[in-house]
Amino acid sequence: MDEQALIRDAQAGSLDAFNTLILHYQDSLYNTALRILGDEDLAADATQEAFISAFKSIGSFRGGSFKAWLMRTVTNACYDELRRQKRRPTTPLEPDSEEGEEMDSPAWLADPGMSPEQEAEADELEHALQHCLNDLPVEFKTVVVMADIQGMDYSEVAVAVRVPLGTIKSRLARARLRLRECLQGFTELLPASFRLEEGSSAS
Amino acid sequence: MNRRDLELLSSYLDGQLKPSESARLESRLSTDPDLRAVLDDLRSTRNLLRKLPMRKAPRNFTLTPKMVGKNPPLPRTYPAFRFVTALASLLLFFSMGLNYLIPQLVAQPPAFGMGGGGAPEVYSAEAPAATEAPAAAAPAEEPLVQMAPMPTPTIASADTSREMETPAAKEGITGEPSVPDQAQVQNTAPRQEMAPPIPSIWLIALAGITVLGVVVMLFMRRLAAERWRQK
Repeated sequence: MDEQALIRDAQAGSLDAFNTLILHYQDSLYNTALRILGDEDLAADATQEAFISAFKSIGSFRGGSFKAWLMRTVTNACYDELRRQKRRPTTPLEPDSEEGEEMDSPAWLADPGMSPEQEAEADELEHALQHCLNDLPVEFKTVVVMADIQGMDYSEVAVAVRVPLGTIKSRLARARLRLRECLQGFTELLPASFRLEEGSSAS
Repeated sequence: MNRRDLELLSSYLDGQLKPSESARLESRLSTDPDLRAVLDDLRSTRNLLRKLPMRKAPRNFTLTPKMVGKNPPLPRTYPAFRFVTALASLLLFFSMGLNYLIPQLVAQPPAFGMGGGGAPEVYSAEAPAATEAPAAAAPAEEPLVQMAPMPTPTIASADTSREMETPAAKEGITGEPSVPDQAQVQNTAPRQEMAPPIPSIWLIALAGITVLGVVVMLFMRRLAAERWRQK
């Protein structure tokens, strides 16, 4: 895929070229929205909104990381959604578990090639992480999702959230520490293979 | 653990420190078990986040022209056709307007001249064509009213009733159809003789261009929409 050529065509108004870019990036954007919002339907809506907004404003893309630029649009769409939720809070349709936490649907399971045990472990891990992510302030959550889940480098994250590199470093460090503290509460729940490593060397 | 050390450890984990900063931190780590423990915690957390499975998008998020409010691209000649059609329709409108208005403006002075000394019946008969006629006739009636105050109500009511009557009804009542007929013939005769200022051929040509332009534009739009759908 010649990304630069597709971007140029999309800037000239080609929807086909932009749709090719969408197919390439849709999983990344959807996962980012999913981790920020913690809801599949809202994440899908935010992703769609982000791509519509991106196409309309693609003329403003001036080079650099296209993924970071797209991430900015999806982050904005997520912030809009969170603001909407604040204005009119809704009751989730999912039933609550005995612990009072929302139960995830079976569709939550990711890799169909996993064994039932692995699926259960992955589900536990995902559940625990999403729970802890939900407790983070949104600006911390956005940075940690992009850096640690999406694997973007600091400069890309800085472009995506439009804050200086130093702020990214600070937010990421504090987000990781907060997540660590939150995940401590899940130590017993987490399967052995996913338990936090302890006592490893610092080299 | 202060905030500065936390940021240093987090950046060190991602290889984002300068070599000198890294060396300094590593020497501290070798002697400070608490610092090392925090680094391990951060690393474990990062590893867990990295293990989080990537979910597949529940559907394709590709866009349709409708979603982005985009119309099919029209040929480059389209604006030229639009301009010519708009111009032709405007010229047609003004030409027709001139053809209608100018003969009326030219015909009005003789109408006043002929009606000036005429009887009130003449004015009331041609009231639909020349609306100013009753007003022009009013001064002529005033002296009569002043000189003979007694019959005033009769004259006034008769005049009013005449003005309200249609020409056809008036003919039936008064039995004097010849006077208004003559006046109308004299009035309309100059209009028929005067040729319209814009020739008919010009109007037909403009109408033809307008219609042709609209048809061509519709065809271009349909063709563009079909090509758009085939993509």
